[in-house]
Amino acid sequence: MTERLVLVAATLLLAAIGLLPVAAMLKETLIADGRFSLDAYRALFASSDHLVLLMRHSLELALLTASLSTLIGVPLGVVLGKTDLPWRGALTLVLAAPLAIPSYVLAVAWLPIVGRTGLLGGVLPAAWSREIGSAFFGLFGCTFVLTSAFMPIAMLLTIAFLRSVNPALENAGSLVSGWPGVLAHITLPLVAPAIAFAAVLIFLLSLGEIGLPMYLRFPVYPVETLTQFAAFYDQRAATVAAAPLLLVTLAVLGLQTRLHRRVLQLGRRTPRGEAVQITLGAWRMPLFVLVLAFAAVVVALPLGALAAQSLSVETYGLALARAGDSIVRSLVFAATGASLLAVLGFFLGYLAERRTLFLWWTNEWIALLLVALPGSVIGIGLISLWNTKATSLIYASPAILILGYLAQYAILPMRVVAASLHAVPYALEQAAWLSGAGWIATLRWIVAPLASRGLVAAWLIGFVFALRDVAISIVVYPPGADTLPVRILTLMANGAPSLIAALCIILIAVTLLPLAVAGLWLKFGAARP
Amino acid sequence: MSAVEFHAVAKVYRAKRVIDALSFTIEAGERVVLFGPSGCGKSTVLMLIAGLVAPDAGEIRLAGKVVSTAGRIHAAPQSRGVGMVFQDLALWPHMSVAENIRFGLRARRVAASECRRRIDDIANLVGLGDYLHVRPGELSGGEQQRVALARALVLKPQLLLMDEPLSNLDAALGRRLRAEILRLHAELGFTLVYVTHGGEEAREIGTRTIELGESRAL
Repeated sequence: MTERLVLVAATLLLAAIGLLPVAAMLKETLIADGRFSLDAYRALFASSDHLVLLMRHSLELALLTASLSTLIGVPLGVVLGKTDLPWRGALTLVLAAPLAIPSYVLAVAWLPIVGRTGLLGGVLPAAWSREIGSAFFGLFGCTFVLTSAFMPIAMLLTIAFLRSVNPALENAGSLVSGWPGVLAHITLPLVAPAIAFAAVLIFLLSLGEIGLPMYLRFPVYPVETLTQFAAFYDQRAATVAAAPLLLVTLAVLGLQTRLHRRVLQLGRRTPRGEAVQITLGAWRMPLFVLVLAFAAVVVALPLGALAAQSLSVETYGLALARAGDSIVRSLVFAATGASLLAVLGFFLGYLAERRTLFLWWTNEWIALLLVALPGSVIGIGLISLWNTKATSLIYASPAILILGYLAQYAILPMRVVAASLHAVPYALEQAAWLSGAGWIATLRWIVAPLASRGLVAAWLIGFVFALRDVAISIVVYPPGADTLPVRILTLMANGAPSLIAALCIILIAVTLLPLAVAGLWLKFGAARP
Repeated sequence: MSAVEFHAVAKVYRAKRVIDALSFTIEAGERVVLFGPSGCGKSTVLMLIAGLVAPDAGEIRLAGKVVSTAGRIHAAPQSRGVGMVFQDLALWPHMSVAENIRFGLRARRVAASECRRRIDDIANLVGLGDYLHVRPGELSGGEQQRVALARALVLKPQLLLMDEPLSNLDAALGRRLRAEILRLHAELGFTLVYVTHGGEEAREIGTRTIELGESRAL
């Protein structure tokens, strides 16, 4: 009974946090002066040429980013997850690092290289570097930077799901074909749903991207909703403008839901025997050099350039003076959000893995919808719901920000906990019940300790995503309580490049430092079940 | 009074009738072996007795009390006074042997001094006295088997369920542990329901055998 109550409560909480704001947002667009009205939509369609152009830009950006990220991420995932390439673990970590950094920070990092007075200017002919410099501020630059930011999603999912392939199937294939044939006809088709899932997820994340297009001055649809809200203080217009984005997301979500179902089935497969590794032979060193060079260019070069630009004690002193309060706030908000996400994710993940209530699929769907929605839509929904006299305490406090994190990122800890619980046999819980323990005691003494590595990973992922969030934070942050990514974005208008670089380095450091500490703990300190 | 009664019990898993209108009675103190081919529902019968799953039809009584009926569990697993040794033992890997045994006593709020006494007693009874501070992963298969037995028996269950507990052990060790189970049964007097698909094991352990037929697709 306790189990049922707690799991139903967790489900209702997720629905209330995530779906009520969206419902409130839609209601606001359809009600004017207390009556049903489509006037807001008529006004929206009156300016349709402009909006169609913005939507086209958004779709182009999302499509290009998803295609390129998948084309690069999947082969990298195969090489890093399936072969005997040297330094696979370290290279995976380095290549995955951009995922933890707000994408506009990556753009800031690239500017000293591709900008008109940048590194490339000294190497390439002036006309070429001018060409590249101006192309960077547009679709080309946005696609390039977003690809480096989201490619790790395709790479990491490929690595993870290659482990779900039954080695016997690959062994049977390798009796009649070489590895290229086995990969093309057996391994990759088996993990195709995961690859397609990654591509669609990247498409949706790119569609909702706000910080990078703002910085690179590429007009896309989500920025329009923010402009209505932040520049014209027109909440209703912002809400109406967000509705088409919601519709596009829902349309794509139909496909994503089907893929998600197949990916869950893949994830529940337990491979029999050791995973098969491809021996690269003569290709080992050339491929290693290629991957190393790719990591150096895509990750080390821009971050190195960023660090070089900020390299003075005075700059960091100034950065702390201008944004010290935002740094502390960001850390507190992200840690609070991550802790609540880990708790909610624990119960949702438990239900997702054990499937003791039929509701498990409802959670999957709600969480998938919420992560697919552009952050600005969730932000505007939160304002629609909480901006009332009775709830001003939440609206005017950082609680609204934390609610946004819980809504958008719930799926991350949920899936991480579910994956770690997959390794904890259900019989261990049953043995505890037969020993006299109730459900809560069993969770406390058996399940949580055995899933501790997953819980730490869930907290970390929640922390990183809350810390790097721009889209929700920029819409809902209470007056005087902005986060570091928002502060950097606002300082960019008139701050010195060295100051912005220093702030970006601080943001990267506070994001990656806990990740490094926890990574070491997970590798050397945490007990394995 | 009978220890276990099954009245026309049925259980369906994924469109497969694993158990169909099964009825039997087990008297207190008996050693009963559930015998049959793989997939015939032997383990399901144990899960039904333990209250870990509910039947789809019929009624289950323990010591004369109705504990499960169609789709409903009236008495939760922790309140049935049933001990169970799982097929893969289900030892908690993050706890020492002593903690594995102590967990159930703590859940039943047994005083610390009484806990210590009972852990020492049961550890000596199954020959684990020297391994109390070791984690299960560091023990051999036979020693792990004894931990699972001690964990189940320390709670003094009236009814002990064993689900193919010796299936992963070599033949010689299996024979030794069977003798040990018979000794413990004689000493403690619990009712034993034992699942196996080995004929020799069934003859040696059981005073009576209940043979289950093949499950049927619906």
